Amino acid sequence: MRGITKRFPGVVANDGVDFAAATGEVHALLGENGAGKSTLSNILTGLYRPDEGEILVYCRPVEFSAPRDALDAGICMVHQHFRLVERFTVAENVVLGDHRREGRTFRLRYRTIERRVAELGERYGLAVDPRARVWQLSVGEQQRVEILKALYLDARILILDEPTAVLTPQEAQVLFETLREMAADGRTVIFISHKLHEVKAVADRVTVLRGGHAVATVSAAEATPRSLAVLMVGHGLGEGAPPKARAPGEVVLGLEDVSAAGDRGGAAVRGVSLAVRAGEIVALAGVAGNGQRELAETVAGMRAPTGGVVRVAGKTPRPGDPRAAIRAGVAYVPEDRLGTGLAPSVSIASNLALKSYREAPASSGPLLRLRRIRERAVELIQRYRIAAPGPAAPVRLLSGGNLQKVVLAREFSGQPKVLVAASPTRGLDVGAIESVHSYLHEAAAAGVGVLLISEDLDEILTLADRIAVMYEGEVVGETARAEASVEEIGLLMAGGNDPRRD
Amino acid sequence: MVAVPAASLVFAFFASGLVLLATGHNALSSYRRLFDAAFVANGALGQTLVSATPLAFTGLAAAAAFRMRLFNIGGEGQLLVGAITAAAAGLYFGGSGGPSAFAIAAMVVAGCAGGAAWALIPGILRAFFRTNEIITSLMLNYVAAYLLTYLIFNTQSYWRQTTGFNAAVFPTSKDLPSSALWPGATIHLRGGILLPLGAGFAVLAAAVLWVLYSRTRFGFEAQVLGDSPRAARYAGMRTRRKILAVMAISGAIAGLGGASQDGDFRHTLDADPNGLQRQYYGYSGIVVAALARYNPFAVLLVAFLVGGLQNAGNTLQGADFPSGLVGVIQGIILFSALGGELLVRYRIRISRRPAAAPPAPEAA
Amino acid sequence: MNHSLAVVVIASGVAYGTPLLYAALGELLTERSGVLNLGVEGMMLIGAVMGFWTVQRVHAGSGAILVVAIGVAALAGALTAAIHAFLVITLRASQIVSGLALTIFAGAAGLSSYLGNDFNLGDNPARHQFHAVFPARVQRWPIVGPIVFGQNVLVYVSWACVVAVWLYLTRTRPGLNVRAVGDSPAAADAMGIDVAAYRYAHTLVGGAFAGVAGATFTLAITPQWVDGITGGAGWIAIALVIFAFWRPELCLVGAYFFGALQALSPELQARGIHIGPTELWANSLPYLMTIVVLVLVSASSTRRWLGAPAALGLPYVREER
Repeated sequence: MRGITKRFPGVVANDGVDFAAATGEVHALLGENGAGKSTLSNILTGLYRPDEGEILVYCRPVEFSAPRDALDAGICMVHQHFRLVERFTVAENVVLGDHRREGRTFRLRYRTIERRVAELGERYGLAVDPRARVWQLSVGEQQRVEILKALYLDARILILDEPTAVLTPQEAQVLFETLREMAADGRTVIFISHKLHEVKAVADRVTVLRGGHAVATVSAAEATPRSLAVLMVGHGLGEGAPPKARAPGEVVLGLEDVSAAGDRGGAAVRGVSLAVRAGEIVALAGVAGNGQRELAETVAGMRAPTGGVVRVAGKTPRPGDPRAAIRAGVAYVPEDRLGTGLAPSVSIASNLALKSYREAPASSGPLLRLRRIRERAVELIQRYRIAAPGPAAPVRLLSGGNLQKVVLAREFSGQPKVLVAASPTRGLDVGAIESVHSYLHEAAAAGVGVLLISEDLDEILTLADRIAVMYEGEVVGETARAEASVEEIGLLMAGGNDPRRD
Repeated sequence: MVAVPAASLVFAFFASGLVLLATGHNALSSYRRLFDAAFVANGALGQTLVSATPLAFTGLAAAAAFRMRLFNIGGEGQLLVGAITAAAAGLYFGGSGGPSAFAIAAMVVAGCAGGAAWALIPGILRAFFRTNEIITSLMLNYVAAYLLTYLIFNTQSYWRQTTGFNAAVFPTSKDLPSSALWPGATIHLRGGILLPLGAGFAVLAAAVLWVLYSRTRFGFEAQVLGDSPRAARYAGMRTRRKILAVMAISGAIAGLGGASQDGDFRHTLDADPNGLQRQYYGYSGIVVAALARYNPFAVLLVAFLVGGLQNAGNTLQGADFPSGLVGVIQGIILFSALGGELLVRYRIRISRRPAAAPPAPEAA
Repeated sequence: MNHSLAVVVIASGVAYGTPLLYAALGELLTERSGVLNLGVEGMMLIGAVMGFWTVQRVHAGSGAILVVAIGVAALAGALTAAIHAFLVITLRASQIVSGLALTIFAGAAGLSSYLGNDFNLGDNPARHQFHAVFPARVQRWPIVGPIVFGQNVLVYVSWACVVAVWLYLTRTRPGLNVRAVGDSPAAADAMGIDVAAYRYAHTLVGGAFAGVAGATFTLAITPQWVDGITGGAGWIAIALVIFAFWRPELCLVGAYFFGALQALSPELQARGIHIGPTELWANSLPYLMTIVVLVLVSASSTRRWLGAPAALGLPYVREER
């Protein structure tokens, strides 16, 4: 891929990226979120078209107008979110993906198909029962099915997007062996990741993306975790404003050895202990998918912990009960604004009252005081400068930045003791980001304990008083802002402390 | 807000007109006769109210549930069960003499209770077992109809007439005692229009429903829950209780419609296979609710109009008037309303382009 | 011929169950693609009236006209279904409301009644009808005689249809694709399957089957036209699909079971046997059992084995690129 550039409204996802992978090699694509890895792979699989640049497959230029073209060219991708039909058997899923023109049959002979699937599984160490139903399989096994789909189509170029995010360490090892086998076969494997030790373990070469640019391509053997981290994160990031001269108060949020299960059953949060004091901003750094969302939901009462205790201002609200958490003074700005934090077709005014409607002044007894709710909405819209057609408009008409303002306005006005903000500036433009940052400062100044969950190191360095790093469900490091080093944090985020690394 | 339904009405009449012309009828004169029979002719308005009242009840019942995305298709069955329980109350508490407030109140309570109970079956299954309420409520419609038939035709039940000459020959249900008959108010207009008590109850129910949904915490929660269950959970709302409550309310209103059938119009528990069961008020009510966009007061209006249409269809049935036209028109109105609403919504989307967030390049 | 009660009931069950079977097979295909069509009753009535009309009004000497009539009925059903398909697939309207509207539009007191009256179809019995195929001698054989050999060709064709649908769903690629569309339209879309096209196709075919089911009434069972002749069979067919766990072979079993239940009460009465609430239970049983089945298929533990196509009733919106 040469000079690939792709722009979206408001952001340049890929900027003149050059990327080359050879046959028989495992090539890792390393970078943080937002660095442009996904966009690049989406272009390679035909989902997006590049604004500039060209793609060459086996030295011949190609153009993909649809995903099918990429598949025809032998490029196959294993996504993070599997495209499997859960009710089908493995064999059925493999065959479903077969869209090739020749060799397709109208009649499906499952015995033949199952045999081929079993053969492929044997060959590449991807043993899976072709007759098993996908929902019966573990996540690791499901991933194998995805890979088998690609092998069934005899894909020459395989792209895997953060494949180990859903695997146990043992399964990851098996996967690496499989990838090596495939490379030895003459195929090309492109491995997208943000984890340094993996990249070192399986890749031959590494290309690092940062901020839409391809920063460097190095040999995996020669690079060290530290050198890679530096490339990923960059030097000389704004050191950020010096921490406020603010004496933190007492502990308003105490997490004691909290564990919680993920949606798929595994443990997402493992024994996290953390304290946030009043007036303090504690940032939880880490790449998405390391348990942050589950931790935030546990604090907000939307998820019941499997172990440990969450204490808010000395009290212990009933676990797994959002209302109890709200009453205890927990405010939560979820990552998924429009899906969880707001009701899209409901008016702005009602959304602003979403947590306060049960008590005066929003209601008296069972009746709502609509005028009061509306007045309050107008107040908040003005104070937070939310650009909206009016308090009665459905909230889904607002832009991203304004949506977030609505959520923040609501959460602050509840006079919380603790504010959990998960990726609050995701997808926002610069002006909106500034606003959000200033509100967070305001909150802290008002004595609220803020737990900021973010992947953006710049943001963390600007805002945080203390920084903790979350990796694979645990807190792997904690430091005060003044003593923090960017490289160190980047390293921790990417699992640099991981005992598995070489 | 009103533009889409109004436009769909116009389109529907136009399309139905085409159907009429295609089969060799004069569209305009047919419409004229419909309108006449529905509203203008002597006694038409009164008859229209008779047709409209049950539609108002089942329409309100459907609106109450559908607003929260609870698809209660069981209005039909809930109305029938309400009729059964209300008839029992009327038979028990009624006596001779003029309308007794007590007996009527008992019928109202019993009707609501019966309908609510019947609706709670799919409600419980939905709240606790996540079973789809569409099919369960639909199935129970049939069970309710069979129950009704059974009570009169297959047993010597409380409802069945056991004395009198005909009783031995042909199964009928007992007539309600006179004090359980619902009175009506006569409006002295065009030779007197009878306003059934049930119609008054329907208006009351619409008002209550409106207040409930737009002015109370209950309604607030229902609105959020219907829009986004996740946001509701986030805000700490109790989902299961809400589902049960809304189903019960919906069923109660339908059941009240059944009570009204007993007390206002049929003066007995009508188990005739071609009687109450064949009117399909429940299903028409859903259509009324959909046309009214689930607004309680609009439901009343639409019920009145559709009632007029039904009435006209019944009156005009005969060799020289295309029967089935009523269903055709109703169907086309609904189709165009459905289609029109979505076309409008798409246009709003396209012109407004909210740009919630630029597709953020998502890596991990 | 004096057959035992059981034989008579089963034989009648097969006869009454045939329209249920056709309609259920059609609805099964539609639902497998993820579309819920509650308008089955309406489509059946349209098929019934148009099939009957063909036989009465189209001049043809022989019984071959019956074949044409079935074709017309199927076409009429498919066209009716097309309205629903357009509304729910392209415009993404509520599938429930659209289906109900279809029933009202086309059902008794709707278009079918309109056409029936306009063409004066109620006046005469059918000029041709489907008769039993096998000679009377074979029909007299004990037990299998009436049940298997006493039926008309529509019944036998329905058996072939069951096999065909079964083969289609389990052994062919398009069948695999449609199952994917109904269970996981996002995955199917990602695999390059045209979700909308499959849904359209299966909804139309479902309508065709329903049309044939309706014609079974007017051309075989009670060969005449009466307004609303199907008497709610369409709704039973919808329940039947659930009762059969969305499997064609179980549709056969279920259709005959429901049919037999329907035949039971009149037979009992004809023989002078009165068993109090039996009629209530016999009639309600299909519906109650369907509810039980539905609870079973919704419980999370069994949902994956037994359950409905996961995307049933939900419009498919492809996510923004």
